[in-house]
Amino acid sequence: MADEVRITNADLIVDEGEKVQYIVIKLGNEQYGIDIKYIDNIVRMQSITRVPHVPEYIKGVINLRGEVIPVLNLRLKMGLEEIEDTKASRIIILKLEQYGLLGFIVDEVREVVTLSEVQIEKVAYDNTDEKQKFVFGVGKTESSLISLLDMNVVCAENGK
Amino acid sequence: MDVSQYLEIFLDETREHLSSLNTQILNLEQNPEDEDTINEIFRAAHSLKGMAGTMGFKRMQNLTHDMENVFSEIRNGNMKVSSSLIDILFQTLDALEEYTSNIQETADEGTNDNQNIIDMLNEFLNTKGEVAEEKPKKGKGKAAKEAKEEAPAAENAEAAPSGSSDEEKFRQIPIGETEEGVISAALAEGKNVYGFTVYVDENCLLKAARAFLVYKAVEEKGEIILSNPSAQDIEDEKFDFDFSLIVISEHNIDDILSAARAVSEISKVVGAPLDAVAAKAQEKKDEETEEKETAPAKVEQADKGSTAQAPAAKTNKAAAKPVVNRTVRVDIEKLDVLMNLVSELIIAKNSLVSASYTDGVSGASFNEQIEYLESVTTNLHESVMKVRMVPIESVVSKFPRMIRDLSKKLDKKMELYMSGEETELDRTVVDEIGDPLMHLLRNSADHGLESAEVRAQRGKPEVGSIFLDAYQDGNNVVIEVRDDGNGIDVEAVKNKAIERGIITPEQADNMAEKDIINLLFNAGFSTAKVISDVSGRGVGLDVVKSKIEALSGEVEVHSKLGEGSTWTIRLPLTLAIIQALMVVVGGEKYAISLGSIQTIEDVSPDEIKLVQNEEVMTLRGSVIPIVRLDKALGTTSLKGPDDNLVVAVAKKGEKLAGFVVDELIGQQEIVIKSLGKYINKSKIISGATILGDGEVALIIDANALI
Repeated sequence: MADEVRITNADLIVDEGEKVQYIVIKLGNEQYGIDIKYIDNIVRMQSITRVPHVPEYIKGVINLRGEVIPVLNLRLKMGLEEIEDTKASRIIILKLEQYGLLGFIVDEVREVVTLSEVQIEKVAYDNTDEKQKFVFGVGKTESSLISLLDMNVVCAENGK
Repeated sequence: MDVSQYLEIFLDETREHLSSLNTQILNLEQNPEDEDTINEIFRAAHSLKGMAGTMGFKRMQNLTHDMENVFSEIRNGNMKVSSSLIDILFQTLDALEEYTSNIQETADEGTNDNQNIIDMLNEFLNTKGEVAEEKPKKGKGKAAKEAKEEAPAAENAEAAPSGSSDEEKFRQIPIGETEEGVISAALAEGKNVYGFTVYVDENCLLKAARAFLVYKAVEEKGEIILSNPSAQDIEDEKFDFDFSLIVISEHNIDDILSAARAVSEISKVVGAPLDAVAAKAQEKKDEETEEKETAPAKVEQADKGSTAQAPAAKTNKAAAKPVVNRTVRVDIEKLDVLMNLVSELIIAKNSLVSASYTDGVSGASFNEQIEYLESVTTNLHESVMKVRMVPIESVVSKFPRMIRDLSKKLDKKMELYMSGEETELDRTVVDEIGDPLMHLLRNSADHGLESAEVRAQRGKPEVGSIFLDAYQDGNNVVIEVRDDGNGIDVEAVKNKAIERGIITPEQADNMAEKDIINLLFNAGFSTAKVISDVSGRGVGLDVVKSKIEALSGEVEVHSKLGEGSTWTIRLPLTLAIIQALMVVVGGEKYAISLGSIQTIEDVSPDEIKLVQNEEVMTLRGSVIPIVRLDKALGTTSLKGPDDNLVVAVAKKGEKLAGFVVDELIGQQEIVIKSLGKYINKSKIISGATILGDGEVALIIDANALI
């Protein structure tokens, strides 16, 4: 499983050339990176319409430019505690081939970083840490470490 | 020029012809002597042949050609229609349909020659009747000749081609010196030079396309050296309803005439050898400049003549031809775009309405304008919706043929009775409904109807009846498939379900008859004792159900053992925009389709009774179950236990149920949006809509809760 993930992402990086841009988001104290090619939009928190009988991490649906889009709480999705929305909370709208547009609630959106292949260290699969399975590598910048999320894996766990 | 741009028209027309052939041949089976039917089939086969030929589909052309030959003989009374011929004809149609679908998928007819069918048709020609020596080649000439005879007949005995010189406009084509040189050279070589004037049907919408097909057909037979108007103008549709050609060819004139007439929507083709014209041109030339000056005037005169003549021709035709509605073929995608725009407009209108409440913009004239806007958007929506509606006929017309084939295959006598073919549904629904209906009909034919012996024992008529009835019921369209067969054997279903492990014997004992029957819709369920290729693979009814549910419809079955079954499919008229009742439950707004709501009741809490631990209430004498929407939706009502209940009574088929809501907001036109692929389709929620204030409200599927 982990092997497969690594292979696909290695391919992606090659496809994208040497350097890939990531949006850096915060969940608690940790920083995560999401490949910028998936990002459709980043919006402020807005009222979310609850949908009955869905897993807890699906918070409901919102209206984005006249389309109805499901919104997930990334904290819950990754097995973290849910927190109250703050001023910094945002909904990142991703466009995934398999699911179309999906929104993710994150604590904060920090910046955009450009990482080249040499700055990314692949991580060994560690199944003791739930959120680790969504991470395919760690990007090192001068000041910090960023866990890079494989969004297809994050979303794929729909049945949970 | 390239034919591919006409492929769609070709496909559309081919399907129309094939569907008409199917109907007519079925008809012929009942009335083998009916001349109108025979003529109709001949005409359809002839047009098909011409179209296939023009588009360069040789195999298809050959096959239709042989079919045409057979009908040509039948028409002449040289042969009789027999049931084995009918079978061959149906095989021919199947082969043609195969060509058509190949062409649709790959723009190529494929490589199947269907030689066996051609052989059978030819053998038929050779053995049945005195025309045994008739060879296909000869048949072709004959057919062409008949076409020629037929054309004037269809046109209400118009003047013979050579009769009126007014029609022969080709005589007025100004012939230049170069062309003259070419013509005389061709004549010197012993080739024929013809002039033609082609009249396009005045109701024709794609004149240029027709003209092009004529061009193409004629070019196969010879070389077009001159046309009036020019080829470019014809392509740009810069001509009235006729155009003239001068052609050099080795073929005889009838060949070319019939090739041109084979193109549909060509009302008339006149032509004549042009040596005379050439001579005339020569004369004209001799008569010097004077004549040259008058030539344009002459053309103009002729034009006037033709316009004056046109209305006359029209009245003539009106008597001969059935009135055809003027239609435009529109790509369904364009309609989708239009529908989306209408949806946007309705959302914008709703925003405006809600803004006028909240922002306190008021004033009589403002409200008046809002109301006006509302009525316009509602009408606009209805018109767009109507544009998308097509009669289900296009789907059900193939069923009589299917039942006929099944009847032979299963060796059971049966008859299909259809009504309401004109009932209209959204185009997308009509496209999808064919398969489920086919499954149900096959199911009735195979499982439903008993064998002849059993029917005789039960005192039923030998021939089983299957009914397909469609009708509109409020905001729904109902399609019923009914048979007078065996009905559903509840015990057999129960045993099978237990055997398959779908239910346990204990469960079975507690199940109502109706619930057991509904097990039939379970995946992997088939009670057929023998697996046939008609049905019995167990992939029938569950597919039917899921398909219909995907169309936001539902299917029900009623059955009486020994007397027959009725399958009822209920489909919404439209999928995109509905009238909804807006309600509040637990502080959240929800929409319920107004189509299913019967009444709104104000009920005091002590009117709610418990029956078998289920809440019910009495409504005008009947007891109906109560559904607490707050519980169903996983929320909590904000109302106290002693408050009166607001109950929306909804109907599904024969069943009623009351939905308890906190509050009513009112009626609103809403645009249905999907919840997206990520959220597993929730049974109770059929979609979402965007309210005037930009919030999303979920749409409750009342049917799923009844």
